[in-house]
Amino acid sequence: MTALINAPTSRLLNALGLLAVSIVLIVAFVDQIVLGDLPCPLCLLQRAGFVGATLGLALNVKFGPRPSHYAVVILSAFGGALISTRQVLLHIVPGTGTYGDAFLGLHFYSWALVVYMAIILGSAVMLLFDRQFAPAEAGAGTRGGATFGLAIVALAALLALGNGVSTVLECAGGLCPDNPTSYLLLPGGR
Amino acid sequence: MMSIPFFGVAAAFICVFAGQRGAALVLWALSMAALLVLFRLHATDPLNIVL
Repeated sequence: MTALINAPTSRLLNALGLLAVSIVLIVAFVDQIVLGDLPCPLCLLQRAGFVGATLGLALNVKFGPRPSHYAVVILSAFGGALISTRQVLLHIVPGTGTYGDAFLGLHFYSWALVVYMAIILGSAVMLLFDRQFAPAEAGAGTRGGATFGLAIVALAALLALGNGVSTVLECAGGLCPDNPTSYLLLPGGR
Repeated sequence: MMSIPFFGVAAAFICVFAGQRGAALVLWALSMAALLVLFRLHATDPLNIVL
């Protein structure tokens, strides 16, 4: 089984994983910008966990798969999972309120925990396939696959930068208010 | 201050494109450390649950 996935296949799978996590961040942005649902401080920190995970996936795409890159993904997802667990526990008792709108029956912090678990599980499964780490295969790949991979890496980089800019607009230079109602640095707040 | 992890990882992405793997890993580690510090600063309310 461990010979099923070689380095080019691993890079493609990592690029697809990177695209999937990027879509999660895009959905969060759409909810923020289009629907006006401002992210709370813990929500922002959960986004940062996703952004950290995208870096590990991007390292696999750009430099080839390495166990240390998967460690970056897993540790980032674990950090994000800690934060989302905290927020789930804050609201888990009925009657203690929620934050933001529900999406397909779950609030975003609950979805975040589910996705973090999926990221950790997926990374652990990928680590089972030893052939992807073989030195002779590390630099292998097709030009088309490399272009696709780098395009997704560029998208993820833009999302990291965009989240940074958005956070500055919402919270200025300090800590964010617990229940933000407007952007601190935008006139009129929206 | 809340934006530090995002800008840190964005800088790490620049290192990825520049072929600087080690610098990218250092920036990621610093960003995750900042993330944990910010989490500590925000996780102040006691949880109303019994474990």
